[in-house]
Amino acid sequence: MTTYTVTIANRDNATYQVDARRPLLDALRDQGVDLPYGCKYGGCITCAAKLTDGQVDQRRQVALNNRQIAEGYVILCVARATSDITLEIGVESHDRLYRNPFLDPLKPHELKADVAAPKET
Amino acid sequence: MECCGPGYASPAEAIKAPREKLLYTIAIYTGTGIQKPDYLATVDVDPDSPTYSQVIHRLEMPGIGDELHHMGWNACSSCHDDHSMSRKYLILPGVRSNNLHIVDTATDPRAPRLHKVIEGVEIKAKTDLSGPHTVHCLGSEIIISFLGNAKGVAPGGYLHLNKDFEIVGRWENSMGEIKFGYDFWYQPRHNVMVSSEWAAPNTFMPGFDLEEVGHLKYGRELHFWDFEKREPIQTMYLGEDGLIPLEVKFHHDPDSTHGFCGAALSSNVIHWWKDGAGAWQWEKIIDVENEPHPEWPIPIPGVMSAILISMDDKYLYLNNWLHGDMRQYDISDPHNPVLTGQVWMGGLLGKAPEVNGVKIAGGPQMFQLSLDGRRLYVTTSLFSTWDNQFYPEIREKGGVMVMIDCDPENGGMQMNKDFIVDFGKEPGGPARCHEMRYPGGDCTSDIWL
Ligand code: FES
Repeated sequence: MTTYTVTIANRDNATYQVDARRPLLDALRDQGVDLPYGCKYGGCITCAAKLTDGQVDQRRQVALNNRQIAEGYVILCVARATSDITLEIGVESHDRLYRNPFLDPLKPHELKADVAAPKET
Repeated sequence: MECCGPGYASPAEAIKAPREKLLYTIAIYTGTGIQKPDYLATVDVDPDSPTYSQVIHRLEMPGIGDELHHMGWNACSSCHDDHSMSRKYLILPGVRSNNLHIVDTATDPRAPRLHKVIEGVEIKAKTDLSGPHTVHCLGSEIIISFLGNAKGVAPGGYLHLNKDFEIVGRWENSMGEIKFGYDFWYQPRHNVMVSSEWAAPNTFMPGFDLEEVGHLKYGRELHFWDFEKREPIQTMYLGEDGLIPLEVKFHHDPDSTHGFCGAALSSNVIHWWKDGAGAWQWEKIIDVENEPHPEWPIPIPGVMSAILISMDDKYLYLNNWLHGDMRQYDISDPHNPVLTGQVWMGGLLGKAPEVNGVKIAGGPQMFQLSLDGRRLYVTTSLFSTWDNQFYPEIREKGGVMVMIDCDPENGGMQMNKDFIVDFGKEPGGPARCHEMRYPGGDCTSDIWL
């Protein structure tokens, strides 16, 4: 079994070993980390956390737009670690997750993947 | 008609019912940062009670992350002549978790208790549905609109429960060409149901990206159904006049074909009716103008997320969640509504940042009217992720419930100075309240056969 180390920066850098095949939400909650969630299939954003180091596979998520992904957000209920990672969790990590859509519009390449245009270079 | 089923023989009888003494509202922690279950709050609305204007009971759901939102009764006036039925259970869907909570409100109306949970995974497995919203009963059966399939993709469909809360299956025989689901209302004497459109759960649950409206990921159509055949037969394309058509209400009068829809983003009221030749027609009857704001590059839309028709079918109430006003229109002539009342509370225009000593985060959002049309209860939170985008201070302040005194004879509305429930002060931390219902049935629950 491949395991990786998850460091939670805003919980005194607590560390946990997680199975690379399991979604981070389940793997961390099983070890007592109190994490928010809702739909548990990657569609509702409630479980979002910020990845500040390392890599995850979150291809199954459909909640984040490309701007949120570029800001480092990951959807823990479907994301799996593919390296050792560092996360910020909970609403404290949501500072860039929510924005007023009228005051701060998305550029065409920042929309969700299914409607985003390729980034102009 | 003398009998002992639930509800009232007619809307006129409902208006004469005793005054409501208790009110239920859902309160959420999902999406607020507080790791606690959402709950059903009982609010004391009896002015002669020492605990008037306070939360007197909280029924926590079994798990976290439901996002309770709307709710509905197991039975209404459509079962009035069935003495074997009673209005005992309130059904509380979790939009995010897909769980349906069946709550017994009759054994002790002040302290409702959990009767049963239909697990979200069971609903997904048996019916391929997720994202529950509106609950209505039809005779002794219950139908609930779901906005997506098990993976959160539109249009979803309708879950059919029997009166023992067992899953019968999908209610509809066909979704036709319908792209999205949301609210629905039906008028059995005309064999018609009307349904509206929000968006797919995967689109609206994470929050509102305005650009997705242009990419047609939000609705702009109303659907007319053959109610008995359980299939859509006609679609009305509302276009720019009807962006995000949310709540739909028929007149309470079961003979009427007139109905109304609030198009949230366009902030228009759409009126429909059946003409002399038997064809369904629609028109825009109210258009709330966008309002300029010094810090906004474009004028602010009202965001009319709810509408309500008084039990006598004389008044239509609507909210502008971003502007911050509640309005009352006389719709005696449904083609020509007349604005008869307006009250400000919260909102982004800064017209009433404080009500009865409480700073309001959010704007008028859900509302429920007393059966006699005199008291309009209003809450301020829309949906956790959308609140977080437009009113981030609601995290610390929580939601509030206020009461507006309405004059059903002459029109007019006024904020009641003695009533306010500050959900920012809840013992578990700032919570957000949304839909409200009273034990005896209310102005958004009952349908007459
Ligand atoms: S719990 Fe809904 S996206 Fe993870």
